[in-house]
Amino acid sequence: MSRLSALRPVLALFWAGDRRMLVYGTLLSFTTALAGIALLGLSGWFIAATSIAGLTLITALTFDVFMPSAGIRLLAIGRTASRYGERLVTHDATLGVLAHLREHVFRGFARADAARGLAANPSRLLFRLTIDIDALDSLYLRVLAPVLVAAGAALAIAAALVFVHPLLGLSSAIVLLAAGLGIPFLASRRAAAFARLRAHALEALRSRSIDLVRGQADLAMTNRLGAQVRAIEAADIRLAQADRALNRAEAGAGFGLGILSAALLAGVLLAAAFLAEAGTIGVPIATFAVLLALASLEPFALLRRGAVEFGRTLQAATRLGPRLTNRSDPPKLGRSAAHGMAIRLESVSVGHPGAARSVLSDISVAIRPGERIALVGASGVGKSTLLSLLAGELNASSGNLTVHPCGLLTQRTELFRDTLRGNLALARPGASDTEMIAALEAAGLASYVASLPGGLDTILGEGGAGLSAGQARRLALARLLLRDAALWLLDEPTEGLDGNTARDVVARLDERATGRILVVATHTRREASLADRILVLRDGRIAADVARGTPAFDMELSQLRPD
Amino acid sequence: MSVSGNTSAQATITACAASDAGDDPSVRAASPPASTTRPDLPRFAAALQISASLLWIPQAAAIAFAIGNIADGAPAQAAILPALCVFVIGILRAALERAGATRAYDAARAHLSTMRARAAAAVATRSPLDALRPSSGLVASTLTEQADAIVPYLARFQPLRISAAVVPPIILGFVFVFSWVAALALLMAAPVIPIFMALIGWQAKAASERQLTRMGNMNAFLLDRLRGLATIRAFDAVDSTALRLRANAEELRTSTMAVLRVAFLSSAVLELFAALGVALVAVYVGFHFLGELNFGAWGGKLTLAQGLFVLLLAPAFFEPLRDLSSVWHDRAAGQAGLEALDRITRGGTKIVGGPESTAVEVSGALSVWIDGLTFRHAESANATLSDFALSIDPGEHVAVMAPSGGGKSTLLALVAGLSSPDNGIVRLGGEPMNHASAAHLRARIAWLGQPPHIFSGTLRSNITLGRPGIGRRDVAHATEAAHIAHLAAQRGHAMIGENGAGLSGGETLRLALARAAVGIRPGLILVDEPTAHLDSVTATEITDRLLAIAEGTTLVVATHDPALAARMDRVVMLPAPAQLEVLA
Repeated sequence: MSRLSALRPVLALFWAGDRRMLVYGTLLSFTTALAGIALLGLSGWFIAATSIAGLTLITALTFDVFMPSAGIRLLAIGRTASRYGERLVTHDATLGVLAHLREHVFRGFARADAARGLAANPSRLLFRLTIDIDALDSLYLRVLAPVLVAAGAALAIAAALVFVHPLLGLSSAIVLLAAGLGIPFLASRRAAAFARLRAHALEALRSRSIDLVRGQADLAMTNRLGAQVRAIEAADIRLAQADRALNRAEAGAGFGLGILSAALLAGVLLAAAFLAEAGTIGVPIATFAVLLALASLEPFALLRRGAVEFGRTLQAATRLGPRLTNRSDPPKLGRSAAHGMAIRLESVSVGHPGAARSVLSDISVAIRPGERIALVGASGVGKSTLLSLLAGELNASSGNLTVHPCGLLTQRTELFRDTLRGNLALARPGASDTEMIAALEAAGLASYVASLPGGLDTILGEGGAGLSAGQARRLALARLLLRDAALWLLDEPTEGLDGNTARDVVARLDERATGRILVVATHTRREASLADRILVLRDGRIAADVARGTPAFDMELSQLRPD
Repeated sequence: MSVSGNTSAQATITACAASDAGDDPSVRAASPPASTTRPDLPRFAAALQISASLLWIPQAAAIAFAIGNIADGAPAQAAILPALCVFVIGILRAALERAGATRAYDAARAHLSTMRARAAAAVATRSPLDALRPSSGLVASTLTEQADAIVPYLARFQPLRISAAVVPPIILGFVFVFSWVAALALLMAAPVIPIFMALIGWQAKAASERQLTRMGNMNAFLLDRLRGLATIRAFDAVDSTALRLRANAEELRTSTMAVLRVAFLSSAVLELFAALGVALVAVYVGFHFLGELNFGAWGGKLTLAQGLFVLLLAPAFFEPLRDLSSVWHDRAAGQAGLEALDRITRGGTKIVGGPESTAVEVSGALSVWIDGLTFRHAESANATLSDFALSIDPGEHVAVMAPSGGGKSTLLALVAGLSSPDNGIVRLGGEPMNHASAAHLRARIAWLGQPPHIFSGTLRSNITLGRPGIGRRDVAHATEAAHIAHLAAQRGHAMIGENGAGLSGGETLRLALARAAVGIRPGLILVDEPTAHLDSVTATEITDRLLAIAEGTTLVVATHDPALAARMDRVVMLPAPAQLEVLA
């Protein structure tokens, strides 16, 4: 049962969503199953009854054919209608669950700790996320609804058989529920480990394939290209082992259900013969009972797929579950919303968990309102870490700091598949078109946007595809400009831009940053020239802190990379 | 230090080079058609499954016979033998079904492994200079999810298709023996069914494709937002983005349901005909017993057992068709998977020679001798390199400079045999780069790409790349030489983030330097733009490390950093492509 507790947050999420649709879908599935069983049972009863009635002319003439034959036609049509409705409603309900699930997954991953983990391994984690979501998608359609329907149908059949003979009803209920649910349950136990193995092997296959393409030249030169292909084959072999085991579990469950079906059919046939001989029941009821037994396992057959996939579903629930609970971020340390306040760091250190050396150690610095800081230092010295700290994305291992709400221009331009308006509105949700166009104007993108037939409603592709690198950077800049924050953090704002564009972007930043604290992580002269003060980081410490107008400032500036 | 330009053409050598490059005509042409088509259908597996379906006929006969006996007032003991038959045949059916399904699965799964291995091998030898080379993301999704879809198609859909063609006619034959009217009732539905099957297939394919695209969109929207979390978090837009995501998913739900309403309708028609077929048989048999429909049983009157037998066969007539329609979407996904695998397996230009060499010899620095080298990218009108010649002595350090897009990276790739030139020859240590020699020549080159690729794994595994015979000491020595010992201390055995996330540009390069410094001493080091995107202090430091590691080895550095170029023995300027046209 402890394994199943991982499902709790997922089930809570399903229940909090459009639960009526989930219930209707299950009820319609149940109706479809019952109609199918009833159709077979009634047809058998009808044939047997008419065959007896037809023995003499009088009984043949008095036999009421209307009710049963109408019933058969009604069930045939009703079953079709209910099946159609079932498919529509269950799919609608599943889509509703998907919508709900995706929203909550996003909220879960948007929390600080999760977001940091995601940033380190985006491709692997997003792939895992996708397959996990897909595994949860099938929870309702393949597991929850079929289990309820099969159990309900078993009870309904047993209830009908109780009227034939109480003992027959009771024993078939026990057999159907115990074996019918027990066999898929055992299959799911047998499959669980392999379902997890499969997920791991698939991840290995994926990351090895990516390494094969991206690292092809490195592999070729180290004589490891063949080895990498063999590593992919090895992942496929592990995957094949898991696949085969899962297939055996599913086939085994099918075999078990087949034997159960044969046993039940033979048993009911014998019971019917003895009950008829005893005169307890007539031939029509005997036929009815046998045909019910024949139809009784059809709903259970649907459980096979769900059973072998259930291990994956549980694993997905275990991995995603913690992200689905409504736990919000811990408040950012020392966060202060006051405008015009200084930023103060006192002996702040930051270390990777488990690492021998800290990334930043004993950083103390005070930044006055309106001051502009260039953060320089060799690659890997901790500039980006310091920015994350100031943005409140990272907690200090020790020391005190005050942080501000900020605007951030990330090193990699982050744009989204959305309209230009949607991309800009991220920085200020209520911004008017006039304000947006003003921001685009300031970023040097207004004329380009005006030339687009769609204007602000132009849709960008994934990650902002459709814009050149320079245009994308300008759009990100316009977005920052819309953000009325006392602190702007810029991580290499002109990296990857050609010289002219870069100088233009710096000039526009200079113009619009008045009155704000600006912290720019950089190693180019043109970006650092924005600053009043240069902080030089070395080995995770502040090695120099020089103000504009001093020879030391000019010296530091001259050591930076020219354009 | 001297600066040499492009030398003039040497007709004789060019001709000789052409014959040299020509010893493997398939290198630049599309590779011979691989038999990636459907495998032989597992006929035996299908036969097992068909037998299982057909065993229902004796089972149904036993049931009908037993109930007939009951109606005739036979003693209950008379039901024991038929019941035993029902049980035994049932077990046999289940066993055959399982044997058929597992055999079909194994055959399909084995085929998947073959196709995967073939595709991986093809991707491994695809030239990185081929503009149509599939991206890593495409290869990954093709080899994983898309390839997986071929198994249900081959293992489930194909046997069911055979089943749907074989089983219904046989069942119809048995029904026909007892009652031509009942057979006619089933047959009435039958001609309608293929038409509807086609309709369903067409509809279901279109619908599932559209729906897949939409579902893909729903995931894409989520992933797109998750990739930009830093920005979303910084702008406090988590909540509004979550609501947008929700609204977008709800929109997709509405539009998908509109499609499904139509798609499900056509399959509902199949269900309806199947259900009506059964109902019609039941009603006919009932009225026949009552004497109201006194025809259809070849002049006689059906017994209860016969009537019941016919009724029990009626659903089995439709079952294979219904099963087939339920796996119809496997077909579209499976065929798409086969095509996708085929696309990354076939065609494209290849690297020179095979993926690896078994004989790796150790020897000194390699000379580089290039003559008449011409290369044009498939998509470009102008040649990137035209009739280019260059000679580098063993141990010489050379910078290759050119404006961006001037062919520096192309030249390095051609020297390493990562593509065949259109014309010309490359000799390393006097040995021509060709199909036979390429793999073992490459094993003597160290490569620092732009940017170097960081593999998924630890710092150590990124340095050794799994090469045999590299011990702890060698790695320690290499981290020392590349100045990343501090990083090794910081990271320990932790996994490095994807694409070196968390590593700075300088650290990534030092890691690649350590990779070059470890193992067999390279005879030639090829480096692409090592100092681009680095601050000047780091750039100088990297240059120092590179020169130390390249001591006594031939070094070719493609760069546009004058400071780096100044520290080489010689600078080679590549002519601008426009000039090349004039020269050619």
